[in-house]
Amino acid sequence: MYIIVSGGGNVGYGIALELQQLPDYEVTIVELSANRASSLRDEIGEMVVHGDGSEIAFLETVGASRADLVIALTADDGANLVTAQVARHWFKVPRVIARVNDPRNEPLFRKLGVDSIVSASGAVMAQIEATLPEHTLIPLMALESAGLQIVTMRVQEGAEVAGRNLRDLQFPSGVLITIVIGPDGAETPSGDTVLRPGHEIIAVVPKDAEDTLRAMVTAPLPEEDD
Amino acid sequence: MRVVIMGCGRVGAGLAQQLFREGHDVTILDTDAFAFQRLLPKFQGRRLHGSGTDDRTLIEAGIENADVFVAVASGDNRNILASQKAKEMYGVKRVVTRVKDPLRAELFERLGLETFSPTKVGIELARDAMMRDGTMRDGTVRGETGAAGEGTR
Repeated sequence: MYIIVSGGGNVGYGIALELQQLPDYEVTIVELSANRASSLRDEIGEMVVHGDGSEIAFLETVGASRADLVIALTADDGANLVTAQVARHWFKVPRVIARVNDPRNEPLFRKLGVDSIVSASGAVMAQIEATLPEHTLIPLMALESAGLQIVTMRVQEGAEVAGRNLRDLQFPSGVLITIVIGPDGAETPSGDTVLRPGHEIIAVVPKDAEDTLRAMVTAPLPEEDD
Repeated sequence: MRVVIMGCGRVGAGLAQQLFREGHDVTILDTDAFAFQRLLPKFQGRRLHGSGTDDRTLIEAGIENADVFVAVASGDNRNILASQKAKEMYGVKRVVTRVKDPLRAELFERLGLETFSPTKVGIELARDAMMRDGTMRDGTVRGETGAAGEGTR
């Protein structure tokens, strides 16, 4: 498996280090700044190359046409979008992941067929939300081509699903409850699994079912007095 | 025609002034307000300080009702990002993008942008100039009667 990572910032560096641990993975990190590239090279070696990850001629020299995955992780959305499309359409790389720095660019990246999108602000938001006790539904990963998301939810006290077993619940179509995590750990759910307040659920969800699902695991809002 | 031009360099400023003279409704953007001094005072179009890759600036520039978007800022990637946004997200019918790298220009042309590469044009012009008067046509200097070339004086 050959992976090219464009952008040797903290994110790119961290990911490259992880990937490097895996057997049978070959990784090249492309870094635009000569200084940064040379200090990365001193630290992690030959896998770091000084170059422009959106430059077709340069990508050719690092073997982009045999890459199985290209990950564009620079702080520049324009560069990431171009790298992703160059990888996909020029080098026919089967899988392309891009980071979106400005959340307003997300719809464009999706529309232009980037397989997965890593949104820095999205990831930070997920972290923040996860620390809030009342968090409900948090997207973990987008499966763009299928229009699906993997999400995590926590069942709230008084929610529609609380205290009921899965068999009796009418989830929106396409929703796949994959893992239920209770006080005793994770389990693969069956029809008899009872969802209790505080349980964490990991599910595969069609994009348009998200709101319905969120409502099902959330406690109804108290009636407001007029 | 309502035209939004991204980038007030020589090309952007020149194009903006020409289109304005021809009676079009022109808005020109640049991330550096200093760039607007390239515009002559008689240019009465709109100058907007901001980035053409930024949705807020684009909306303020009237992208939603623009007939044409032209990206002639200095960076290829920023021009491509802004152009794809104008086309895909705001439905601008006519989008023209300057892409200096000829390979990238070719790819994004294939992907539906109307690109032009001044580099490619420059290469052709330089080559044509070299070949003028039959010089170097097949690696040799031709023309006995005063053709330009070394040693022919």
